[in-house]
Amino acid sequence: MVGEELVGLTPEMIEASQAGMKAIGAAIAVGSTGLASAAAEMAIGSAAVGATAENKDVFGLVLLLTVIPETIVIFGLVVALLLIF
Amino acid sequence: MLSPEQMSRVLIAAPKDVMEPVISELHRQRLFHIEDFVENDQEEYAGYRIGVPLEGAREISKDLLRLRSVTGAFSLRAEDLDPSGKIRKSQLTAQIEQELPRIEMEVEELLSRRTELENHVKELEQKIEALTPFSEMRADLSLLHGYRTLTVFAGYLAKKVDIGVPCEEYFSESKKGNFLVAVVPVEYRQEVERKLLDAQFQAIPVPDEPGPAKERISVYKVQLETDGKDLEEIATQIDALKSRHSEFLIACDELLSIDAQKAEVPLRFATTDHAFIADGWVPSHTLSGLTDGINAASGGRAFVTELPIQKGVDVVPVEYDNINFAKPTQFLMDIYSRPKYTELDPTLVVAIVFPIFFGLILGDVGYGALLLVASFGLRKLLKGSEGKMLLDIMRNASISSIFFGILFSEIFGFRLPWPSILPSRHLNIGGEGGHGPAIPELMIMCVWIGIIHITAGRILGILNHAQQDHGSHRVRAMLANLGWIMVMWGILVMIWSAFPMPLMPDLTGFAPLVMGLSLPVIIGVLMVVPGVVFIVRESALELVELPSILSHVLSYARLVGVGVSSVAIAMVINFIAIGLIIEPQLENITIFGAIIIAVGVVVWIIGQILNTILGMIGGGLQSLRLQYVEFFTKFYKGGGKKYNPFGEIRRFTED
Repeated sequence: MVGEELVGLTPEMIEASQAGMKAIGAAIAVGSTGLASAAAEMAIGSAAVGATAENKDVFGLVLLLTVIPETIVIFGLVVALLLIF
Repeated sequence: MLSPEQMSRVLIAAPKDVMEPVISELHRQRLFHIEDFVENDQEEYAGYRIGVPLEGAREISKDLLRLRSVTGAFSLRAEDLDPSGKIRKSQLTAQIEQELPRIEMEVEELLSRRTELENHVKELEQKIEALTPFSEMRADLSLLHGYRTLTVFAGYLAKKVDIGVPCEEYFSESKKGNFLVAVVPVEYRQEVERKLLDAQFQAIPVPDEPGPAKERISVYKVQLETDGKDLEEIATQIDALKSRHSEFLIACDELLSIDAQKAEVPLRFATTDHAFIADGWVPSHTLSGLTDGINAASGGRAFVTELPIQKGVDVVPVEYDNINFAKPTQFLMDIYSRPKYTELDPTLVVAIVFPIFFGLILGDVGYGALLLVASFGLRKLLKGSEGKMLLDIMRNASISSIFFGILFSEIFGFRLPWPSILPSRHLNIGGEGGHGPAIPELMIMCVWIGIIHITAGRILGILNHAQQDHGSHRVRAMLANLGWIMVMWGILVMIWSAFPMPLMPDLTGFAPLVMGLSLPVIIGVLMVVPGVVFIVRESALELVELPSILSHVLSYARLVGVGVSSVAIAMVINFIAIGLIIEPQLENITIFGAIIIAVGVVVWIIGQILNTILGMIGGGLQSLRLQYVEFFTKFYKGGGKKYNPFGEIRRFTED
């Protein structure tokens, strides 16, 4: 079966498809973690804006809390970069 | 340097008749942080009451209120104004008596005229709006009123409808809808109403105006125009008044605010019938100056004494004590939280590390230079001490960005004439060729930075506990911090002995010694196990935090991640603007081609500006976050009270 499927594929084509798979993997890594960060930051961000409206002094703290989920997408980006290079 | 300014608790006791000169002296020196007196039942405070404001406080407040109504109308702010010189207090007081009421009257008159005109404009606009539906109808509007035998219907319909009774009607179709005016004999009223209701009739009132609607509208529009002109004139008059008197008004505001502050400060003192006591803090090195000043002001009748600080009871106000280079960074510290009096003040560390992280993320000579220019250019716009501090931080960060740009060999995403000294971040965009970025090396460089930064944080944690805590808790807390360092380095040694990695020591070559474990592994285990024991002795709950060692160290990978994405955006902009738009036109230049080239240049400029802003926000926030989350959580609590001395810097007035 496997042998039959590979008939007609040159090594270049196989290499290209491997590169493509890597690119797709990298895209999934960045894309899904990006969505996850966005979902997390959505809730924190809206609460943060509300808290800042009540008391301006907490701006620094809530800014910090808002960027905490950024870590998820940065890990995704790191994985993607390691995959591609 | 790494600790806040040393403070002394000071008690000033004096007879009431020298209260005013003592207050003036305290205000002038601007050193005394007042502790508010609270009436209580304690024995040593028996007989003391909260003081009453100085004489004249009421008049000053009243004047200030009147003044603020004028400055409010002008939307004047002291920060927006540069003083041309200082006015003497005596001169200003005389001017306040004479000029302030006059200016107040002028402003009030202008404001009331403005309100009147604005109301009139609103009225006219409403009238025009009511008339507009009738504007195409040529009939006199007065003919639609005042009948006993006829009913008038006016309004919008969903569709045209046949009324089916003898009537006079006007119908027009327009974008707003189908407009109908119908005059029907009273006896058919109910029948017509029903029919119109079926056609979703929305009635509108018929304006009570003489003549055709169109004529009335043009009459009102002329009136509107005159009103608009009058309003403009009032605005120019207000502007003229504002520019003529702004400095005087701000100076008055300053003088009166200071007088009000002075008059009301006895509310924070403890007083008896004949004496008063002011309790507060001053930086220790200024104590003798303060004492001399008060003695001179009171003719030697005030008694100034220093009290010992009661640890754990007194909340000491905190003032930073940093070298000039680190001073702007106090702004970043205050955003997080001011250090406690007994705590280490990490401002200097942040002042050094923040620009380095910023440069590692946005290491580009072009962007750095742009931000450097901006940090000087914005000085005219951003006034006030906080704005200046922010711009100083930006200046340091952009210089670091230029420095790392040279090391990374980057300018607006292009290469500089030399190869990258640090691991390269240049990508393979637009078929540029070459090796592509050295991601593994960059990543490990960042991990190293993370390990060093976190270790430094833990060492500061040990110092902090040594300084703040007492007894057995002190030892346990210090050992716990040491435990965290040992666990982190132990894990590292074990990783080194399992995998060879670039830029890291390779310990894989050691032969197994005991039970198949090589020497480095044994050393690693010997570090991790006691480390965990130290942590558990402090708090067993901390064990769940162990994975944070990994996540915090890896978090520094954002220095590469965000940095490389910034380079990627820059290179994509270059490729789109130059490779795809400009270069193909350069082969054979035509007039049309020249336009395309201009478009390419615009695309390039807009793209690079956007990327500069993105890089600034990304670089700033990410490196700040590494300080706040990864670094500060290791040792820093914050929550100190701000040192807020009584007094104000005079900018426009002098005594």
